[in-house]
Amino acid sequence: MKYFAKKLAGLIATLLVVSFLVFLAFAVIPGDPATAMLGTEATPARVEALREELGLNAPLIERYAKWIADFVRGDMGTSYSYHMAVTEMIADKIPVTLALTAISFFLIVVISIPLGITCARYMDGALDHIIVVANQVIMAVPPFFSGILITLVFGLVLHLFTPGGYVSYRTDWARFLGYMFFPALAIALPKIAMSTKLLRTSVLSEMKADYVRTAYSRGNGTRAVLYRHVLKNALIPVVTFLGMALSDMVAGSIIVEQVFNVPGLGRILLTSISNRDYPVVQAIIVCIAFLVILINFLVDLLYKLVDPRITME
Amino acid sequence: MKKKRSKNFTAGAILTGVMLLFVLVGFFWTPYDPETMDKSVKLAGVSFAHPMGCDNFGRDILSRVLKGSGTTFLVAVGTVAIGTLCGTVLGAFTGYFGGIVDEVFMRINDALFAFPSILLGLVFISLLGSGKYNVIVALGIAFVPSFARIVRGEFIRCKNLDYVRSAKLAGAGDLRIMFVHILPNILTVLSSSVMIGFNNAVLAEAGMSYLGIGVQPPDASLGRMLSEAQTYLFSAPGYALFPGIVLILMVLGFSLLSEGLKE
Repeated sequence: MKYFAKKLAGLIATLLVVSFLVFLAFAVIPGDPATAMLGTEATPARVEALREELGLNAPLIERYAKWIADFVRGDMGTSYSYHMAVTEMIADKIPVTLALTAISFFLIVVISIPLGITCARYMDGALDHIIVVANQVIMAVPPFFSGILITLVFGLVLHLFTPGGYVSYRTDWARFLGYMFFPALAIALPKIAMSTKLLRTSVLSEMKADYVRTAYSRGNGTRAVLYRHVLKNALIPVVTFLGMALSDMVAGSIIVEQVFNVPGLGRILLTSISNRDYPVVQAIIVCIAFLVILINFLVDLLYKLVDPRITME
Repeated sequence: MKKKRSKNFTAGAILTGVMLLFVLVGFFWTPYDPETMDKSVKLAGVSFAHPMGCDNFGRDILSRVLKGSGTTFLVAVGTVAIGTLCGTVLGAFTGYFGGIVDEVFMRINDALFAFPSILLGLVFISLLGSGKYNVIVALGIAFVPSFARIVRGEFIRCKNLDYVRSAKLAGAGDLRIMFVHILPNILTVLSSSVMIGFNNAVLAEAGMSYLGIGVQPPDASLGRMLSEAQTYLFSAPGYALFPGIVLILMVLGFSLLSEGLKE
Protein backbone atom coordinates (compact mmCIF):
# COMPACT_ATOMS: atom_id res chain seq x y z
CA MET A 1 0.00 0.00 0.00
CA LYS A 2 2.88 2.30 0.83
CA TYR A 3 4.36 1.37 -2.52
CA PHE A 4 1.14 2.33 -4.24
CA ALA A 5 0.92 5.68 -2.43
CA LYS A 6 4.51 6.52 -3.31
CA LYS A 7 3.99 5.59 -6.93
CA LEU A 8 0.78 7.61 -7.05
CA ALA A 9 2.51 10.69 -5.67
CA GLY A 10 5.23 10.26 -8.28
CA LEU A 11 2.57 9.93 -10.97
CA ILE A 12 0.87 13.18 -10.01
CA ALA A 13 4.19 15.02 -9.79
CA THR A 14 5.22 13.81 -13.24
CA LEU A 15 1.85 14.74 -14.72
CA LEU A 16 2.16 18.25 -13.33
CA VAL A 17 5.74 18.70 -14.52
CA VAL A 18 4.95 17.40 -18.00
CA SER A 19 1.86 19.53 -18.43
CA PHE A 20 3.72 22.59 -17.15
CA LEU A 21 6.60 22.02 -19.57
CA VAL A 22 4.21 21.72 -22.48
CA PHE A 23 2.32 24.79 -21.32
CA LEU A 24 5.56 26.72 -20.95
CA ALA A 25 6.77 25.66 -24.39
CA PHE A 26 3.62 26.98 -26.02
CA ALA A 27 3.55 30.12 -23.87
CA VAL A 28 7.03 31.33 -24.84
CA ILE A 29 6.66 30.98 -28.60
CA PRO A 30 6.47 34.21 -30.52
CA GLY A 31 3.05 35.07 -31.88
CA ASP A 32 -0.02 36.20 -30.02
CA PRO A 33 -3.08 33.92 -29.83
CA ALA A 34 -5.43 36.89 -29.79
CA THR A 35 -3.96 38.24 -33.03
CA ALA A 36 -4.02 34.73 -34.48
CA MET A 37 -7.72 34.37 -33.70
CA LEU A 38 -8.77 37.83 -34.93
CA GLY A 39 -6.49 38.07 -37.93
CA THR A 40 -3.97 40.81 -38.68
CA GLU A 41 -6.59 43.41 -39.54
CA ALA A 42 -8.09 43.63 -36.05
CA THR A 43 -7.71 46.90 -34.18
CA PRO A 44 -5.28 46.95 -31.23
CA ALA A 45 -8.20 47.71 -28.90
CA ARG A 46 -10.07 44.62 -30.06
CA VAL A 47 -6.95 42.46 -29.63
CA GLU A 48 -6.40 43.87 -26.16
CA ALA A 49 -10.02 43.14 -25.22
CA LEU A 50 -9.69 39.53 -26.37
CA ARG A 51 -6.37 39.14 -24.54
CA GLU A 52 -8.14 40.26 -21.40
CA GLU A 53 -11.05 37.93 -22.09
CA LEU A 54 -8.76 34.95 -22.72
CA GLY A 55 -6.83 35.78 -19.55
CA LEU A 56 -3.57 36.19 -21.48
CA ASN A 57 -2.51 39.19 -19.41
CA ALA A 58 -2.37 37.20 -16.17
CA PRO A 59 0.99 35.87 -14.89
CA LEU A 60 2.19 32.59 -16.34
CA ILE A 61 1.64 30.51 -13.21
CA GLU A 62 -1.91 31.78 -12.83
CA ARG A 63 -2.65 30.97 -16.45
CA TYR A 64 -1.20 27.51 -16.04
CA ALA A 65 -3.31 26.89 -12.93
CA LYS A 66 -6.45 27.92 -14.76
CA TRP A 67 -5.54 25.91 -17.82
CA ILE A 68 -4.78 22.70 -15.91
CA ALA A 69 -7.94 23.08 -13.79
CA ASP A 70 -10.01 23.48 -16.97
CA PHE A 71 -8.15 20.61 -18.57
CA VAL A 72 -8.97 18.23 -15.73
CA ARG A 73 -12.61 19.28 -15.99
CA GLY A 74 -12.53 18.41 -19.68
CA ASP A 75 -12.29 21.91 -21.11
CA MET A 76 -9.21 21.97 -23.32
CA GLY A 77 -9.71 25.37 -24.88
CA THR A 78 -10.87 26.47 -28.31
CA SER A 79 -9.27 25.72 -31.63
CA TYR A 80 -7.93 28.81 -33.46
CA SER A 81 -8.69 27.52 -36.91
CA TYR A 82 -11.99 25.69 -36.39
CA HIS A 83 -13.38 27.88 -33.61
CA MET A 84 -14.76 24.84 -31.82
CA ALA A 85 -14.00 23.23 -28.49
CA VAL A 86 -10.84 21.13 -28.60
CA THR A 87 -12.48 18.51 -26.39
CA GLU A 88 -15.19 18.07 -28.99
CA MET A 89 -12.63 17.78 -31.76
CA ILE A 90 -10.57 15.05 -30.17
CA ALA A 91 -13.14 13.14 -28.12
CA ASP A 92 -14.04 10.65 -30.84
CA LYS A 93 -10.44 10.42 -32.09
CA ILE A 94 -9.00 9.12 -28.83
CA PRO A 95 -10.81 5.74 -29.01
CA VAL A 96 -9.45 5.19 -32.52
CA THR A 97 -5.84 5.68 -31.47
CA LEU A 98 -6.40 3.67 -28.30
CA ALA A 99 -7.94 0.81 -30.26
CA LEU A 100 -5.03 0.83 -32.68
CA THR A 101 -2.54 0.64 -29.81
CA ALA A 102 -4.54 -2.03 -28.00
CA ILE A 103 -4.79 -4.26 -31.09
CA SER A 104 -1.07 -3.98 -31.77
CA PHE A 105 -0.30 -4.71 -28.15
CA PHE A 106 -2.50 -7.80 -28.33
CA LEU A 107 -0.68 -8.93 -31.48
CA ILE A 108 2.71 -8.47 -29.81
CA VAL A 109 1.73 -10.58 -26.82
CA VAL A 110 0.05 -13.44 -28.69
CA ILE A 111 2.77 -13.68 -31.33
CA SER A 112 6.01 -12.93 -29.55
CA ILE A 113 5.56 -15.01 -26.38
CA PRO A 114 4.96 -18.37 -28.10
CA LEU A 115 7.61 -17.51 -30.67
CA GLY A 116 10.20 -16.61 -28.05
CA ILE A 117 9.57 -19.80 -26.11
CA THR A 118 9.78 -21.90 -29.26
CA CYS A 119 13.07 -20.29 -30.21
CA ALA A 120 14.56 -20.92 -26.79
CA ARG A 121 13.29 -24.48 -26.66
CA TYR A 122 14.69 -25.45 -30.03
CA MET A 123 17.79 -23.32 -29.69
CA ASP A 124 20.20 -23.52 -32.64
CA GLY A 125 17.64 -25.46 -34.65
CA ALA A 126 16.77 -24.38 -38.19
CA LEU A 127 13.61 -22.57 -37.06
CA ASP A 128 15.52 -20.71 -34.37
CA HIS A 129 18.15 -19.55 -36.86
CA ILE A 130 15.54 -18.34 -39.29
CA ILE A 131 13.66 -16.43 -36.60
CA VAL A 132 16.81 -14.86 -35.15
CA VAL A 133 17.88 -13.54 -38.54
CA ALA A 134 14.36 -12.43 -39.49
CA ASN A 135 14.07 -10.62 -36.17
CA GLN A 136 17.26 -8.68 -36.80
CA VAL A 137 15.94 -7.48 -40.17
CA ILE A 138 12.39 -6.74 -39.00
CA MET A 139 13.72 -4.60 -36.15
CA ALA A 140 15.30 -2.30 -38.73
CA VAL A 141 12.08 -1.73 -40.69
CA PRO A 142 10.31 1.49 -39.69
CA PRO A 143 6.59 0.92 -39.01
CA PHE A 144 5.47 3.30 -41.75
CA PHE A 145 7.47 1.36 -44.32
CA SER A 146 6.07 -1.97 -43.16
CA GLY A 147 2.70 -0.22 -43.40
CA ILE A 148 3.43 0.59 -47.04
CA LEU A 149 4.54 -3.00 -47.68
CA ILE A 150 1.41 -4.36 -45.99
CA THR A 151 -0.74 -2.06 -48.12
CA LEU A 152 1.02 -3.29 -51.22
CA VAL A 153 0.91 -7.01 -50.41
CA PHE A 154 -2.33 -7.48 -48.46
CA GLY A 155 -4.26 -4.57 -49.88
CA LEU A 156 -3.32 -4.13 -53.53
CA VAL A 157 -2.15 -7.62 -54.47
CA LEU A 158 -4.13 -9.99 -52.25
CA HIS A 159 -7.16 -7.70 -51.81
CA LEU A 160 -7.61 -8.60 -48.14
CA PHE A 161 -8.57 -5.01 -47.35
CA THR A 162 -9.20 -1.77 -49.21
CA PRO A 163 -6.38 0.71 -48.58
CA GLY A 164 -7.91 3.94 -47.35
CA GLY A 165 -11.27 2.24 -46.76
CA TYR A 166 -11.45 3.00 -43.05
CA VAL A 167 -14.77 2.16 -41.39
CA SER A 168 -15.72 4.04 -38.22
CA TYR A 169 -16.27 1.99 -35.07
CA ARG A 170 -19.61 3.73 -34.78
CA THR A 171 -20.78 2.29 -38.12
CA ASP A 172 -19.57 -1.27 -37.91
CA TRP A 173 -17.43 -2.73 -35.13
CA ALA A 174 -16.37 -5.85 -36.95
CA ARG A 175 -15.27 -4.06 -40.11
CA PHE A 176 -13.49 -1.44 -38.01
CA LEU A 177 -11.46 -4.17 -36.33
CA GLY A 178 -10.89 -5.89 -39.66
CA TYR A 179 -9.42 -2.71 -41.10
CA MET A 180 -7.43 -1.80 -37.98
CA PHE A 181 -5.72 -5.19 -37.95
CA PHE A 182 -3.36 -4.11 -40.74
CA PRO A 183 -2.10 -0.81 -39.30
CA ALA A 184 -1.85 -2.54 -35.93
CA LEU A 185 0.33 -5.21 -37.52
CA ALA A 186 2.60 -2.53 -38.99
CA ILE A 187 3.07 -0.97 -35.56
CA ALA A 188 3.50 -4.34 -33.87
CA LEU A 189 6.07 -5.94 -36.22
CA PRO A 190 9.30 -4.40 -34.91
CA LYS A 191 8.11 -4.78 -31.31
CA ILE A 192 7.25 -8.43 -31.93
CA ALA A 193 10.79 -8.95 -33.16
CA MET A 194 12.33 -7.23 -30.13
CA SER A 195 10.09 -8.95 -27.64
CA THR A 196 10.74 -12.38 -29.16
CA LYS A 197 14.45 -11.78 -29.05
CA LEU A 198 14.29 -10.59 -25.45
CA LEU A 199 12.20 -13.54 -24.30
CA ARG A 200 14.50 -16.00 -26.04
CA THR A 201 17.59 -14.55 -24.34
CA SER A 202 15.77 -14.35 -21.02
CA VAL A 203 14.55 -17.97 -21.11
CA LEU A 204 18.00 -19.20 -22.13
CA SER A 205 19.69 -17.39 -19.24
CA GLU A 206 17.07 -18.58 -16.75
CA MET A 207 17.56 -22.16 -17.93
CA LYS A 208 21.08 -22.02 -16.48
CA ALA A 209 19.81 -21.11 -12.99
CA ASP A 210 20.15 -23.47 -10.03
CA TYR A 211 16.42 -23.85 -9.48
CA VAL A 212 16.11 -25.27 -12.99
CA ARG A 213 18.68 -27.96 -12.22
CA THR A 214 16.80 -28.75 -9.02
CA ALA A 215 13.54 -29.00 -10.93
CA TYR A 216 15.11 -31.35 -13.44
CA SER A 217 16.67 -33.48 -10.73
CA ARG A 218 13.27 -33.95 -9.17
CA GLY A 219 12.24 -35.67 -12.38
CA ASN A 220 10.45 -32.87 -14.23
CA GLY A 221 10.47 -32.91 -18.01
CA THR A 222 11.61 -29.93 -20.09
CA ARG A 223 8.03 -28.88 -20.74
CA ALA A 224 7.13 -28.79 -17.05
CA VAL A 225 10.31 -26.94 -16.09
CA LEU A 226 9.80 -24.43 -18.84
CA TYR A 227 6.18 -23.60 -18.20
CA ARG A 228 5.94 -24.08 -14.45
CA HIS A 229 9.24 -22.56 -13.37
CA VAL A 230 11.24 -20.74 -15.99
CA LEU A 231 8.56 -18.77 -17.78
CA LYS A 232 7.44 -16.90 -14.69
CA ASN A 233 10.92 -15.49 -14.16
CA ALA A 234 11.79 -15.08 -17.80
CA LEU A 235 8.74 -12.92 -18.43
CA ILE A 236 9.81 -10.14 -16.05
CA PRO A 237 12.14 -8.29 -18.46
CA VAL A 238 9.54 -8.81 -21.19
CA VAL A 239 6.89 -7.08 -19.08
CA THR A 240 9.24 -4.11 -18.62
CA PHE A 241 9.91 -4.01 -22.32
CA LEU A 242 6.23 -4.19 -23.20
CA GLY A 243 5.52 -1.28 -20.89
CA MET A 244 8.17 0.83 -22.57
CA ALA A 245 7.02 -0.32 -25.99
CA LEU A 246 3.46 0.81 -25.29
CA SER A 247 4.42 4.46 -25.08
CA ASP A 248 6.42 4.13 -28.26
CA MET A 249 3.42 2.54 -29.93
CA VAL A 250 1.08 5.38 -29.02
CA ALA A 251 3.54 7.74 -30.69
CA GLY A 252 4.17 5.36 -33.58
CA SER A 253 0.48 5.21 -34.30
CA ILE A 254 0.60 8.91 -35.25
CA ILE A 255 2.66 8.01 -38.31
CA VAL A 256 1.00 4.72 -39.17
CA GLU A 257 -2.43 6.35 -39.04
CA GLN A 258 -1.26 8.48 -41.96
CA VAL A 259 -0.19 5.44 -43.98
CA PHE A 260 -3.58 3.79 -43.62
CA ASN A 261 -5.69 6.94 -43.60
CA VAL A 262 -7.02 6.29 -40.13
CA PRO A 263 -8.65 9.40 -38.62
CA GLY A 264 -7.14 9.17 -35.14
CA LEU A 265 -5.27 11.64 -32.94
CA GLY A 266 -2.30 11.61 -35.31
CA ARG A 267 -4.17 13.09 -38.25
CA ILE A 268 -5.63 15.96 -36.27
CA LEU A 269 -2.27 16.59 -34.57
CA LEU A 270 -0.53 16.96 -37.92
CA THR A 271 -3.17 19.27 -39.38
CA SER A 272 -2.98 21.39 -36.26
CA ILE A 273 0.81 21.55 -36.41
CA SER A 274 0.73 22.81 -39.99
CA ASN A 275 -2.06 25.28 -39.14
CA ARG A 276 -0.19 26.44 -36.03
CA ASP A 277 -3.35 25.71 -34.10
CA TYR A 278 -1.59 25.66 -30.73
CA PRO A 279 -4.50 24.91 -28.35
CA VAL A 280 -5.18 21.70 -30.27
CA VAL A 281 -1.51 20.71 -30.48
CA GLN A 282 -1.05 21.44 -26.79
CA ALA A 283 -4.13 19.44 -25.78
CA ILE A 284 -3.21 16.41 -27.90
CA ILE A 285 0.41 16.39 -26.74
CA VAL A 286 -0.69 16.56 -23.11
CA CYS A 287 -3.31 13.85 -23.70
CA ILE A 288 -0.74 11.53 -25.28
CA ALA A 289 1.79 12.28 -22.54
CA PHE A 290 -0.82 11.57 -19.85
CA LEU A 291 -1.71 8.35 -21.59
CA VAL A 292 1.92 7.30 -21.74
CA ILE A 293 2.58 8.19 -18.10
CA LEU A 294 -0.58 6.41 -16.99
CA ILE A 295 0.45 3.29 -18.91
CA ASN A 296 3.87 3.35 -17.28
CA PHE A 297 2.21 3.70 -13.89
CA LEU A 298 -0.02 0.69 -14.53
CA VAL A 299 2.94 -1.33 -15.78
CA ASP A 300 4.81 -0.52 -12.58
CA LEU A 301 1.89 -1.78 -10.52
CA LEU A 302 1.57 -4.89 -12.67
CA TYR A 303 5.26 -5.43 -12.32
CA LYS A 304 4.92 -5.48 -8.56
CA LEU A 305 2.23 -8.16 -8.90
CA VAL A 306 4.39 -10.28 -11.19
CA ASP A 307 7.44 -9.98 -8.98
CA PRO A 308 6.78 -9.24 -5.29
CA ARG A 309 10.51 -8.74 -4.67
CA ILE A 310 10.41 -5.34 -6.36
CA THR A 311 10.42 -2.30 -4.09
CA MET A 312 10.70 1.44 -4.56
CA GLU A 313 14.48 1.49 -4.74
CA MET B 1 27.15 -17.62 -28.56
CA LYS B 2 30.46 -15.78 -28.71
CA LYS B 3 31.11 -16.71 -32.31
CA LYS B 4 27.71 -15.45 -33.37
CA ARG B 5 28.30 -12.03 -31.86
CA SER B 6 31.50 -11.46 -33.76
CA LYS B 7 29.56 -12.48 -36.86
CA ASN B 8 27.12 -9.67 -36.05
CA PHE B 9 29.98 -7.24 -35.79
CA THR B 10 31.54 -8.26 -39.10
CA ALA B 11 28.23 -8.15 -40.93
CA GLY B 12 27.43 -4.79 -39.35
CA ALA B 13 30.83 -3.34 -40.19
CA ILE B 14 30.61 -4.46 -43.83
CA LEU B 15 27.04 -3.20 -44.23
CA THR B 16 27.78 0.11 -42.55
CA GLY B 17 30.89 0.53 -44.69
CA VAL B 18 28.92 -0.08 -47.88
CA MET B 19 26.18 2.33 -46.80
CA LEU B 20 28.69 5.01 -45.84
CA LEU B 21 30.29 4.64 -49.26
CA PHE B 22 26.83 4.93 -50.81
CA VAL B 23 26.11 8.13 -48.90
CA LEU B 24 29.56 9.51 -49.68
CA VAL B 25 29.13 8.86 -53.40
CA GLY B 26 25.77 10.63 -53.22
CA PHE B 27 27.43 13.76 -51.88
CA PHE B 28 29.70 14.10 -54.90
CA TRP B 29 28.13 12.26 -57.79
CA THR B 30 24.68 11.12 -58.92
CA PRO B 31 24.00 9.46 -62.29
CA TYR B 32 21.45 12.16 -63.15
CA ASP B 33 20.55 15.48 -61.65
CA PRO B 34 18.11 14.50 -58.86
CA GLU B 35 15.81 17.41 -59.70
CA THR B 36 15.66 17.14 -63.48
CA MET B 37 12.25 16.02 -64.67
CA ASP B 38 11.77 14.05 -67.86
CA LYS B 39 8.21 13.31 -68.92
CA SER B 40 9.24 10.54 -71.31
CA VAL B 41 10.37 8.25 -68.46
CA LYS B 42 7.54 9.01 -65.99
CA LEU B 43 7.21 6.08 -63.55
CA ALA B 44 9.58 4.02 -65.71
CA GLY B 45 10.53 0.64 -64.33
CA VAL B 46 13.98 -0.75 -63.61
CA SER B 47 16.36 -0.52 -66.57
CA PHE B 48 20.07 -0.14 -67.32
CA ALA B 49 19.65 3.59 -67.77
CA HIS B 50 17.67 3.91 -64.52
CA PRO B 51 18.63 1.05 -62.14
CA MET B 52 15.85 1.98 -59.69
CA GLY B 53 13.38 3.37 -62.22
CA CYS B 54 11.90 6.86 -62.30
CA ASP B 55 9.35 8.72 -60.20
CA ASN B 56 6.10 10.44 -61.17
CA PHE B 57 7.99 13.44 -62.54
CA GLY B 58 10.45 11.27 -64.44
CA ARG B 59 13.27 11.97 -62.00
CA ASP B 60 15.86 9.21 -61.63
CA ILE B 61 15.11 7.36 -58.38
CA LEU B 62 18.69 6.16 -57.81
CA SER B 63 19.93 9.75 -57.95
CA ARG B 64 17.23 10.84 -55.54
CA VAL B 65 17.92 7.94 -53.18
CA LEU B 66 21.61 8.85 -53.21
CA LYS B 67 20.84 12.48 -52.38
CA GLY B 68 18.08 11.56 -49.93
CA SER B 69 20.19 9.15 -47.93
CA GLY B 70 22.79 11.91 -47.70
CA THR B 71 20.19 14.24 -46.18
CA THR B 72 18.96 11.56 -43.82
CA PHE B 73 22.53 10.79 -42.82
CA LEU B 74 23.37 14.44 -42.17
CA VAL B 75 20.25 14.96 -40.08
CA ALA B 76 21.00 11.84 -38.06
CA VAL B 77 24.63 12.84 -37.48
CA GLY B 78 23.58 16.36 -36.45
CA THR B 79 20.91 15.05 -34.15
CA VAL B 80 23.21 12.58 -32.45
CA ALA B 81 25.93 15.23 -32.15
CA ILE B 82 23.60 17.63 -30.35
CA GLY B 83 22.10 14.89 -28.22
CA THR B 84 25.45 13.39 -27.25
CA LEU B 85 27.19 16.69 -26.59
CA CYS B 86 24.46 18.29 -24.47
CA GLY B 87 23.53 14.98 -22.89
CA THR B 88 27.12 14.23 -21.92
CA VAL B 89 27.74 17.64 -20.38
CA LEU B 90 24.42 17.61 -18.55
CA GLY B 91 24.77 14.02 -17.39
CA ALA B 92 28.40 14.55 -16.35
CA PHE B 93 27.68 17.58 -14.19
CA THR B 94 24.52 16.23 -12.58
CA GLY B 95 26.00 12.79 -12.02
CA TYR B 96 29.33 14.03 -10.71
CA PHE B 97 28.13 16.77 -8.39
CA GLY B 98 24.70 15.44 -7.40
CA GLY B 99 22.73 17.59 -4.98
CA ILE B 100 19.70 19.73 -5.55
CA VAL B 101 20.52 20.68 -9.16
CA ASP B 102 20.75 16.99 -9.94
CA GLU B 103 17.38 16.36 -8.34
CA VAL B 104 15.66 19.10 -10.32
CA PHE B 105 17.31 18.16 -13.60
CA MET B 106 16.48 14.54 -13.19
CA ARG B 107 12.84 15.28 -12.38
CA ILE B 108 12.55 17.27 -15.60
CA ASN B 109 14.54 14.66 -17.44
CA ASP B 110 12.23 11.90 -16.19
CA ALA B 111 9.24 13.90 -17.31
CA LEU B 112 10.76 14.45 -20.76
CA PHE B 113 11.70 10.81 -20.89
CA ALA B 114 8.01 10.00 -20.69
CA PHE B 115 7.62 11.58 -24.12
CA PRO B 116 8.47 9.32 -27.01
CA SER B 117 11.26 11.20 -28.84
CA ILE B 118 9.27 11.57 -32.05
CA LEU B 119 6.51 13.30 -30.09
CA LEU B 120 9.04 15.63 -28.51
CA GLY B 121 10.41 16.27 -31.98
CA LEU B 122 6.88 17.12 -33.15
CA VAL B 123 6.48 19.63 -30.32
CA PHE B 124 9.69 21.39 -31.29
CA ILE B 125 8.84 21.29 -34.99
CA SER B 126 5.49 22.89 -34.27
CA LEU B 127 7.33 25.62 -32.38
CA LEU B 128 10.24 26.07 -34.80
CA GLY B 129 8.66 25.21 -38.14
CA SER B 130 9.86 22.49 -40.52
CA GLY B 131 13.01 22.26 -42.65
CA LYS B 132 16.29 20.34 -42.51
CA TYR B 133 18.02 22.40 -39.83
CA ASN B 134 14.98 22.71 -37.63
CA VAL B 135 14.59 18.93 -37.73
CA ILE B 136 18.18 18.57 -36.55
CA VAL B 137 17.60 20.99 -33.66
CA ALA B 138 14.21 19.50 -32.76
CA LEU B 139 15.40 15.89 -32.76
CA GLY B 140 18.70 16.85 -31.15
CA ILE B 141 16.92 18.40 -28.18
CA ALA B 142 14.53 15.46 -28.07
CA PHE B 143 17.50 13.10 -27.78
CA VAL B 144 19.24 14.93 -24.93
CA PRO B 145 17.30 13.28 -22.04
CA SER B 146 18.18 9.72 -23.00
CA PHE B 147 21.90 10.52 -23.38
CA ALA B 148 21.95 12.58 -20.19
CA ARG B 149 20.40 9.68 -18.31
CA ILE B 150 22.96 7.16 -19.54
CA VAL B 151 25.96 9.44 -18.90
CA ARG B 152 24.67 10.44 -15.47
CA GLY B 153 24.35 6.79 -14.47
CA GLU B 154 27.88 6.05 -15.60
CA PHE B 155 29.31 9.07 -13.77
CA ILE B 156 27.59 8.05 -10.56
CA ARG B 157 29.05 4.58 -10.94
CA CYS B 158 32.56 5.87 -11.64
CA LYS B 159 32.90 8.84 -9.32
CA ASN B 160 33.78 6.77 -6.26
CA LEU B 161 36.10 4.32 -7.98
CA ASP B 162 39.73 4.16 -6.91
CA TYR B 163 41.24 5.81 -9.95
CA VAL B 164 39.03 8.85 -9.47
CA ARG B 165 39.99 9.06 -5.80
CA SER B 166 43.66 8.82 -6.56
CA ALA B 167 43.32 11.50 -9.22
CA LYS B 168 41.63 13.68 -6.62
CA LEU B 169 44.42 13.06 -4.13
CA ALA B 170 46.94 13.93 -6.80
CA GLY B 171 45.23 17.31 -6.95
CA ALA B 172 43.32 17.11 -10.21
CA GLY B 173 40.44 19.57 -10.57
CA ASP B 174 36.83 18.50 -10.96
CA LEU B 175 36.66 19.33 -14.66
CA ARG B 176 39.86 17.45 -15.34
CA ILE B 177 38.58 14.41 -13.48
CA MET B 178 35.26 14.52 -15.28
CA PHE B 179 36.45 14.88 -18.83
CA VAL B 180 40.00 13.52 -18.79
CA HIS B 181 39.64 10.65 -16.34
CA ILE B 182 36.03 9.50 -16.25
CA LEU B 183 34.84 10.26 -19.77
CA PRO B 184 37.27 7.93 -21.59
CA ASN B 185 36.13 5.12 -19.33
CA ILE B 186 32.51 5.38 -20.34
CA LEU B 187 33.16 5.62 -24.07
CA THR B 188 32.19 1.99 -24.71
CA VAL B 189 28.78 2.47 -23.16
CA LEU B 190 28.42 5.81 -24.89
CA SER B 191 29.41 4.55 -28.34
CA SER B 192 26.84 1.78 -28.19
CA SER B 193 24.12 4.28 -27.30
CA VAL B 194 25.36 6.65 -29.99
CA MET B 195 24.72 3.94 -32.57
CA ILE B 196 21.29 3.17 -31.24
CA GLY B 197 20.64 6.91 -31.13
CA PHE B 198 21.79 7.22 -34.72
CA ASN B 199 19.27 4.59 -35.79
CA ASN B 200 16.49 6.25 -33.85
CA ALA B 201 17.41 9.55 -35.45
CA VAL B 202 17.32 8.02 -38.95
CA LEU B 203 13.91 6.52 -38.24
CA ALA B 204 12.59 9.71 -36.62
CA GLU B 205 13.78 11.89 -39.52
CA ALA B 206 12.30 9.51 -42.06
CA GLY B 207 9.04 9.42 -40.11
CA MET B 208 8.81 13.18 -39.84
CA SER B 209 9.67 13.75 -43.46
CA TYR B 210 7.14 11.10 -44.39
CA LEU B 211 4.55 13.11 -42.46
CA GLY B 212 5.57 16.18 -44.44
CA ILE B 213 6.80 18.14 -41.44
CA GLY B 214 10.47 17.21 -41.66
CA VAL B 215 12.88 17.91 -44.48
CA GLN B 216 11.23 20.09 -47.12
CA PRO B 217 11.70 20.08 -50.90
CA PRO B 218 13.95 20.76 -52.78
CA ASP B 219 15.98 18.67 -50.28
CA ALA B 220 15.43 15.03 -51.20
CA SER B 221 14.69 12.77 -48.25
CA LEU B 222 13.97 9.07 -48.05
CA GLY B 223 10.88 9.62 -45.89
CA ARG B 224 9.46 12.21 -48.25
CA MET B 225 10.05 9.92 -51.25
CA LEU B 226 8.15 7.16 -49.49
CA SER B 227 5.17 9.39 -48.87
CA GLU B 228 5.15 10.54 -52.51
CA ALA B 229 5.57 6.97 -53.70
CA GLN B 230 2.55 5.72 -51.81
CA THR B 231 0.15 7.10 -54.42
CA TYR B 232 1.87 5.07 -57.14
CA LEU B 233 2.31 1.95 -55.03
CA PHE B 234 0.50 -0.33 -57.45
CA SER B 235 1.73 1.08 -60.76
CA ALA B 236 5.34 1.64 -59.65
CA PRO B 237 6.17 -0.39 -56.54
CA GLY B 238 9.90 0.22 -57.07
CA TYR B 239 9.39 3.90 -56.29
CA ALA B 240 8.56 2.98 -52.67
CA LEU B 241 10.63 -0.18 -52.36
CA PHE B 242 14.09 1.19 -53.21
CA PRO B 243 14.13 4.14 -50.79
CA GLY B 244 12.63 1.87 -48.13
CA ILE B 245 15.25 -0.82 -48.63
CA VAL B 246 18.09 1.71 -48.47
CA LEU B 247 16.59 3.05 -45.24
CA ILE B 248 16.42 -0.45 -43.76
CA LEU B 249 20.01 -1.28 -44.77
CA MET B 250 21.25 1.93 -43.16
CA VAL B 251 19.53 1.10 -39.86
CA LEU B 252 20.41 -2.59 -40.02
CA GLY B 253 24.14 -1.91 -40.43
CA PHE B 254 24.35 0.21 -37.31
CA SER B 255 22.15 -2.05 -35.21
CA LEU B 256 24.30 -5.08 -36.07
CA LEU B 257 27.41 -3.07 -35.29
CA SER B 258 26.13 -1.90 -31.90
CA GLU B 259 25.10 -5.43 -31.06
CA GLY B 260 28.55 -6.67 -31.98
CA LEU B 261 30.14 -3.93 -29.89
CA LYS B 262 28.17 -4.90 -26.81
CA GLU B 263 29.89 -8.34 -26.94
